[in-house]
Amino acid sequence: MKRARILMLIAPVAVLIFLFIVLPYVTVLLMSFRAPADGQPYGAGFSVEGYRQFFSQNYYALSLPQTMGLGIVTSLVCLLLGYPVALHIATAPKRWRGLLYGIVLSPLLVGIVVRSYGWTILLGNAGVINTTLRNLGLIERPLPLMYNEFGVVLALAHVFLPFMVLPLLASLQTADPAVRQAARSLGAGRFTVFRRVTLPMSMPGIQSGCILVFVLAISSYVTPALVGGMRVKTTTLLVVDALIDQFQWPFGSAMALTLAISAGIVVLIFARLTRIRWS
Amino acid sequence: MGLVTPLLSLLRALVYVFLLAPIVVVVLASLNAGNFLTFPPQGLSLRWFWTFLNNDVFIDAIVYSLILAALATAVSLVLGTMAALYFVRHARREAEVVRIGVLLPLILPEILTAIALLFFFYEIGIGTQYKIALFTGHVLMTLPFVFLNVTTSLQGRDDAVELAARTLGASRMTAFRRITLPLIAPGMATGGVFAFIISFDTFGVSFILKGTGSAPLPIQLYDYLRFNFTPEAAAVSTVSILLTLVLVTLSNMLFGRD
Amino acid sequence: MTEVSLLSLVKSYGKSTALKGISLEVGHGEFVSLLGPSGCGKSTTLKCIAGFEDVTDGKILFDSKDISRKLPEDRDIGMVFQSYALFPHMTVERNLAFGLEMRRMARSEIAERVARAMDMVQLTPYADRYPKALSGGQQQRVALARALVIEPAILLLDEPLANLDAKLRDEMRGFIRDLQKRVGITTIYVTHDQNEAMTMSDRVVVMFDGKIAQAAPPEDVYDRPASERVARFVGNANILDLAVAGQMHGRTSLSVPGGGRLAVTGGGDTPATRLRVMARPEQIALTGPGEGHLDGRITKRYFSGGHVEYHVETECGTLNVLSPTTQNMAEGANVGLTFDTQRLWPLPDSARAAEPAA
Repeated sequence: MKRARILMLIAPVAVLIFLFIVLPYVTVLLMSFRAPADGQPYGAGFSVEGYRQFFSQNYYALSLPQTMGLGIVTSLVCLLLGYPVALHIATAPKRWRGLLYGIVLSPLLVGIVVRSYGWTILLGNAGVINTTLRNLGLIERPLPLMYNEFGVVLALAHVFLPFMVLPLLASLQTADPAVRQAARSLGAGRFTVFRRVTLPMSMPGIQSGCILVFVLAISSYVTPALVGGMRVKTTTLLVVDALIDQFQWPFGSAMALTLAISAGIVVLIFARLTRIRWS
Repeated sequence: MGLVTPLLSLLRALVYVFLLAPIVVVVLASLNAGNFLTFPPQGLSLRWFWTFLNNDVFIDAIVYSLILAALATAVSLVLGTMAALYFVRHARREAEVVRIGVLLPLILPEILTAIALLFFFYEIGIGTQYKIALFTGHVLMTLPFVFLNVTTSLQGRDDAVELAARTLGASRMTAFRRITLPLIAPGMATGGVFAFIISFDTFGVSFILKGTGSAPLPIQLYDYLRFNFTPEAAAVSTVSILLTLVLVTLSNMLFGRD
Repeated sequence: MTEVSLLSLVKSYGKSTALKGISLEVGHGEFVSLLGPSGCGKSTTLKCIAGFEDVTDGKILFDSKDISRKLPEDRDIGMVFQSYALFPHMTVERNLAFGLEMRRMARSEIAERVARAMDMVQLTPYADRYPKALSGGQQQRVALARALVIEPAILLLDEPLANLDAKLRDEMRGFIRDLQKRVGITTIYVTHDQNEAMTMSDRVVVMFDGKIAQAAPPEDVYDRPASERVARFVGNANILDLAVAGQMHGRTSLSVPGGGRLAVTGGGDTPATRLRVMARPEQIALTGPGEGHLDGRITKRYFSGGHVEYHVETECGTLNVLSPTTQNMAEGANVGLTFDTQRLWPLPDSARAAEPAA
């Protein structure tokens, strides 16, 4: 009797998640096995036509490795840029930490559309970077920074950098500082300490951060759409096109599911690789 | 090490610049007196703000986003706090399942969740009508943030305080009202602010589920940006940034934070 | 001043049973400790008395009234928690006032009672402080005052001294006991520390595995434990398993390896061939080899300020002996052990009858 009242606390959320996450995702799975139809989103009967359509056309099938690559590169860029920042905040004096934390988180406050838009202003042919370089006389013709993979990776790395810094920071902060001091007392120089103590101990954070950024990057819509124009078609963009513009639901679902599974495989491989090295 | 440290510092500084650059650029672009998004700006002016204020579409969109965010946050606060209370106080073996369940909207790709919701609502006959799907999507996206914040503030605390209140004569309701609630209020406030900002700025869910009629601000902005290049969009963006800043500052002042 | 009666309390969680029939009477103003290892059910018993757990079977009576169905807030109890559970967002004064506010007392009367309570625990200068600004010992005193200011029928304490350092614990032990005596409130105190239980209580209730093994004044539990398990839990116990030489007139004669005889009082009425007896370390004296009941060799020696502890290897196993520091034996020395036969305690139910021939 008492137990029932306590369960009332979690009941609404449980129903919410089941009804609006679990069931819908099952619907997507089922949808990917329906037959395509003209004039309607989907037809009756079981079919793998959606999958066939995806894998048989290069335009679509090749977007998969391209999207995976984009995600991996973005992850790496975020790692390279984010690690020094995380290290800095972790070792900074308390007064500064709040401010630095704020700077890292500030992009999140601003909305993804605004941020992506900002990148178009920066990277465009008449944008900030090109105009500045021209005015300084360093280049004559504008550099193609936008509407290509370079711009997309840059923008994605910017958007998701906080998601790399935060786990890294958490991992660095939970590491016992006494371990570093012990290493120094045993005669290791600062760089050795970093290489053989700090870095391995922050591995969990590196792992979480990379996985998080990877998944976010490949699922991103607005940023590749705005910064990539219509030239960089990630699988996610193709999925949304198929579903919203073309009403081809089985096809779109099949693509989405394939994307999710591929991402899962990449993440698993990554986790396996980094786990072996860690232990 | 003589060269490494200054190089690292330079890299770090560049990253901080990198983080702030697009935002700064947008704000500056909004003050551009000229017609195009050129840089450097052709003089400073507020004219694009006036244009935007007269643009019903954008005003509608901001109001729409604000209302949507407020409603979604309200629902998330109630549901998320209840879930947090259950998770910290009462969940035993199912604790991990509960946690992952509530965080699912965060773990799963937003676009995929939006698509799944679209299919689901279509299957049950509602589709994108009445904005139910949109509202559900927003509640789902904001729920994890309330949950995370409230659980953090609950976990740092001794749960015997409520039992103590009971031994002193307080009923369950009274103990909750006078002891638990004041102590989780900061967590709820932070969660609420996060939730509001997330809802206000989220794109994926709104894009897929918006249906016809008015749309939230991020969608409106996106539509506009695809084909227009005047700084008006920058002005709208700047207002959006300002709104968020005001919200965060207010919450910091009222509730204090890490 | 209230009497508490626990009548065959049973508490089950699904398949496992935490309390297997607890019956206890606590008298007016009595200080009773529930003592036992973790998992023995002492905290569960306290929670049942407080009302935070429902009993599966059995009754709880306050002054002959069955309160088993009452909610915690209606039971008129005062409780001190191991973590003190002070309200962090209220000052000391507000913390103390809370229980009185729940009882809808007049503001002026609340102020007066709170002032008296703070005085009683010597915390008046800290009235406006918040709990986090107080030391562990101070928080402890606030928790105590908060429980007592409402003048409840009984006082429950759940391992309140567990989070204090040793010296503070000693001080607080005396403080709590003195306060309790002054107020005269019936008190039930849960602890796993046998020192606390022995020094503070009128009666000690030793619990194992959801059952009461012994409920008696501290001296009885120490000198005359009801079982070997109680004997070992409540202090250092030397248990000797000896052959019975003869039983007569309520006394049993036991033969000691090496040829000696020990006569103990009691030992049961049924014929037995072997008996287990307990001797506390301070009840054994060291003397020269051959001069005592049993011979042995010292294997370890620990100096402990007021006394010396010896581990003595004998034919009856390794015995623990406490001696005054005036006697100074070295490790490896051969000694004789003399037992205080008046205090040798035959463990109940340890007599074994003659085994039938195979």
